[in-house]
Amino acid sequence: MREKLQALKEQALQDLETVTSLEALKNLKVQYLGKKGSLTEILRGMGALSAEERPKIGQIVNELRAELEGKIEEHTKVLEEKALADKLANEKVDITLPGRAPKIGHLHPITLTMREIKKIFMRMGFDVNEGPEIENDYYNFEALNLPKDHPARDMQDSFYITEEYLLRTHTSPVQARTMQNKGGNEPVRMIAPGRVYRRDYDATHSPMFHQVEGLVIDKGISMADLKGTLELFLKEMFGSNVKVRLRPSFFPFTEPSAEVDISCVICGGKGCRVCKNSGWLEILGSGMVHPNVLTMSGYDPQQVSGFAFGMGVERIAMLKYGIDDLRLFFENDLRFIRQFK
Amino acid sequence: MLASLNWLKEYVEITDTPDVLADKLTRAGTPVEVITYLGEGLNGVVTGKVAEIEHHPDADKLWVCSIDVGTGELLQILTGAQNVTKGVIVPVAVVGSQLPSGMKLKKAKMRGMDSYGMLCSASELGLDAKLLLPEQREGILLLAEDTPIGVDIKEVLGLDDVVYDFDLTANRGDCFNMIGLAREVAAVTGANLKMPSMEVKETAAGDANEMAKVEIKATDLCSRFAIRVLKNIKIKESPSWMQRRLRACGVRPISNVVDVTNYVMLELGQPMHAYDYDKVAEHKLIVRRAENEEKLVTLDEQQRTLNDSMIVIGDAMHAVGLGGVMGGLETEVTGTTVNVMLEAATFDGVSIRRTSRALGLRSEASSRFERGVDTVLTWNALNRAANLLESMEACETVPGIVDAYPVPYVPAIVKVSPEAINSRIGIAITKEEMVATLEKLQFGVQEEGAELVVTAPTWRPDVTCDADISEEICRIHGLDNIESHLPCLDVTKGGQHIIYDVQDSIKDYMVAVGMNEVINYSFIHPSAFDKIGLAADDARRKAIDIMNPITDDFKVMRTTLVPGMLANVAYNVARQNTKVATFEVGRIYFADKLPLSGFPTEKPMLCMALCGKRNELNWNEGREDVDFYDAKGIVEGLLNNLQLQDWKFTVGSAPYLHPGKSCSIEYNGMSIGYFGEVHPAVQNAYGLPQAAYLFELEIEPLVAAATHVPQYMHLPKFPGTSRDIAVVVPTEIAMSELVEVINANAGELLQAVKVFDVYTGKQVAEGCKSMAFNLTFQANDRTLTDDEIDIVIKKVVDAVGETFKAKLRD
Repeated sequence: MREKLQALKEQALQDLETVTSLEALKNLKVQYLGKKGSLTEILRGMGALSAEERPKIGQIVNELRAELEGKIEEHTKVLEEKALADKLANEKVDITLPGRAPKIGHLHPITLTMREIKKIFMRMGFDVNEGPEIENDYYNFEALNLPKDHPARDMQDSFYITEEYLLRTHTSPVQARTMQNKGGNEPVRMIAPGRVYRRDYDATHSPMFHQVEGLVIDKGISMADLKGTLELFLKEMFGSNVKVRLRPSFFPFTEPSAEVDISCVICGGKGCRVCKNSGWLEILGSGMVHPNVLTMSGYDPQQVSGFAFGMGVERIAMLKYGIDDLRLFFENDLRFIRQFK
Repeated sequence: MLASLNWLKEYVEITDTPDVLADKLTRAGTPVEVITYLGEGLNGVVTGKVAEIEHHPDADKLWVCSIDVGTGELLQILTGAQNVTKGVIVPVAVVGSQLPSGMKLKKAKMRGMDSYGMLCSASELGLDAKLLLPEQREGILLLAEDTPIGVDIKEVLGLDDVVYDFDLTANRGDCFNMIGLAREVAAVTGANLKMPSMEVKETAAGDANEMAKVEIKATDLCSRFAIRVLKNIKIKESPSWMQRRLRACGVRPISNVVDVTNYVMLELGQPMHAYDYDKVAEHKLIVRRAENEEKLVTLDEQQRTLNDSMIVIGDAMHAVGLGGVMGGLETEVTGTTVNVMLEAATFDGVSIRRTSRALGLRSEASSRFERGVDTVLTWNALNRAANLLESMEACETVPGIVDAYPVPYVPAIVKVSPEAINSRIGIAITKEEMVATLEKLQFGVQEEGAELVVTAPTWRPDVTCDADISEEICRIHGLDNIESHLPCLDVTKGGQHIIYDVQDSIKDYMVAVGMNEVINYSFIHPSAFDKIGLAADDARRKAIDIMNPITDDFKVMRTTLVPGMLANVAYNVARQNTKVATFEVGRIYFADKLPLSGFPTEKPMLCMALCGKRNELNWNEGREDVDFYDAKGIVEGLLNNLQLQDWKFTVGSAPYLHPGKSCSIEYNGMSIGYFGEVHPAVQNAYGLPQAAYLFELEIEPLVAAATHVPQYMHLPKFPGTSRDIAVVVPTEIAMSELVEVINANAGELLQAVKVFDVYTGKQVAEGCKSMAFNLTFQANDRTLTDDEIDIVIKKVVDAVGETFKAKLRD
């Protein structure tokens, strides 16, 4: 019996050597260790053994079983690893083929720019107010200290609906509306974004464009506050390296008035085509609210003061994204819009 | 406004370089837009006298000149110009010199003869032909007889000058002249201002007030009208220094009298006009409103038809000039003129602006009146002009000025407190510094305790209140010298109105589902209403008209975003876009009543368009076209995202949609929008090659639901189970009808019903379709058994069978 077991062991180990597939290994396990396997067959002859011999042989059989099981398991592992390695070696995708793209659209660059402007001012505690695009003469002109015969009120510059109503030529009427709503006694800190309209249509003028107006009113507001606020905004918008310059200017609704320039974002102030070699870009208009404007909207210029500013969103977007043609904004060519993220 | 620096230096000392001075002026509110260095690239060209001239022996059209350029040696120079004669003085580009075109002169050979340089024309020297006398434009530029020989041509022609182009603001009419600019230079550099001489000899006999009369009838349009009478006028060319200055400032020299009126206008800012005294009936000038339909032939030989808003200068008989805009041809000063009436007046800027616009006549004079001209300085201009003409020995001046000045101008007197100015600007400068600044700008200043009483100069009508004074202080002090400060304000919540939050989240959703944002003009062509097939009585046709549209395309305010969106689709399809997916958020405009008598309604809307392929071309994605259900999916997703509840899609929609493939969105009992396939007729009208889908939605009704905060529901503790059923029903049965019956019969265990297949074809009878549903069941307190679900399913199947005569499909 011992010899039989020994022979079985040798045969099994020899067979194991030649097995190369998991399938064959499984068969081999059944062949030797299965219910009808060779080892079981030998065990059937145990009955003929003496009581003394039986536990000894039993032990040998158990050891043999354990050994064979161990070897088979070991071999299984080897074959499994090999099978995985083969599988990995044979399975490959072309990583250069494009993926299934999620459908994601794009916001218009005006919206992107507008959102950025709004975000900066909202962080500073500004309200965002909007007003009607069809305005009346009072809010668009009169309340902003633009007297009846002012050149800006000429028919050729504005789109009129009637003698009294017109498409607003700027977002400034929202200033007057806001002040009036506050009843002349609350502080104001707001911006007013929106569409505006002027009667100009050529390569560098669009009859409709976007502006953001700003207004701050409180006790003791000064030109220095205006400067600080706009510097902060412009550095947020164009980067902290940008230099800001104020130049005296003229707007009927502010006094003193200042044009605000930034160092050219294209050439960094060295001078280029975009900045007409001046190194500076005009970016917004501003000033201290004219006492007449405060008075008309119910505030006492002896008690409070304020500053106001206004900017063209298209201009800012053009500088920010390097867009060189205003007309692109309203042609709505998808090849244009898809470029903005 | 163009200004020559050499000319400016006559009134104020300039030590800064042109760049530095321009920057100082710009920062003080007198912005220099362009600096032009005249004679740039012109080097080494000198004046020379033609000592000898003869024909080239071998060329008819060539001349051989011997030129004296003051070196003691004659230069042989050939020229093809035909206006050169012996003895003339001409610009000579000698060998080694350089022209503005970049050309460098070298010795040349022409038809066998050497030429040591070139005689130059005006254009070769870089002079602007528009600013030259007609005879100076052709051939070689002939210089004045008294021009010295061998000097740099730049000196002779005033090309050694720098010209500033100022971009002045509308309120600073006082700077539209050399003196005004010199005053600004003095204020920013600290130099002193020198005024030109206005002394008049008045050597002629007689009294101007007896020889001529003036009268202002239209006192609302003319505040002052004054003249001088000049006798024995000798019309000739004005001196070259005057021509140089006029040219540098962009004005073409003509002859002495006209040049002097232009020169004084540039120098002092007072537009002037000269009349031929002997052609003015009764030597009387009357300022009046024109008669309607009155005719006048102006200096440019155009007949003008006038109306009663225009200012006319008339003599005793008829109109002789358009006040402040252009003189009349009849009384023009010509070569035969002997006596002259010289006018200096103050006309109303608004009237001048309207007249010059109406007649398309904008001039140096009209643009100065538009900005305002100093009434008080009228006499200075008359005296300065007489002084200049006398110094040229071109006239004798008759004593006296004939002046109509009914209401003298009173300059503003403003009381200011230096403390208030400092607090407005955010600076701390002394009262003394403020006084010095204002005096430099020629404001009158008196101290009254802590306050200053400031009298504005007559040329500053824009200064009327303390804020204006603060601006003067601030701009001369320098905005750069204000230390920035952030305002100290109470903390507030800040932020935007909820409706703009909703618009932002709509835009974000649309982008997330692949739509691209467009921005269309708010005005459209009224024919768009026909193109989208609106009925004659459709409310959307009652659009607000623009009175003065810029083109017909922008004639009415839009009442729907649809035309713009369809135009965008057509535009992009025409540019090989296989997939167009766009949206716009913008307003539409409705009036309660037309013509407009109150503020109209401005309603924010969303509009979306979808056309072409569902996916961009890709190897692993389908190439199907978008259909109704792509649009519907986006609509449903949006409404879900905005947390709307209980909306309904109902049949019947907009005229521009396909009646069988569109529907209306009902919410809170109102229709708030439509979507569906574009009507084939509309598709055709916009030239779209394939079906497109539109969705238009009002935004305001969405706001209330958007503030809803979602409430958490417990996750199920027990597993759910699902069953599929498929039923065959007549084609016209809508899915929603089936779902309704399923819901009504499945009891409370039913969690969800999903349709996962719709089939028509060979497997089912004609006129029928098969619909397959997946039903999910769930209980909160137990795991469901097959038996209890079987009972429910049977009940559902029976009910569906009974209601629709439906068969259960295997």
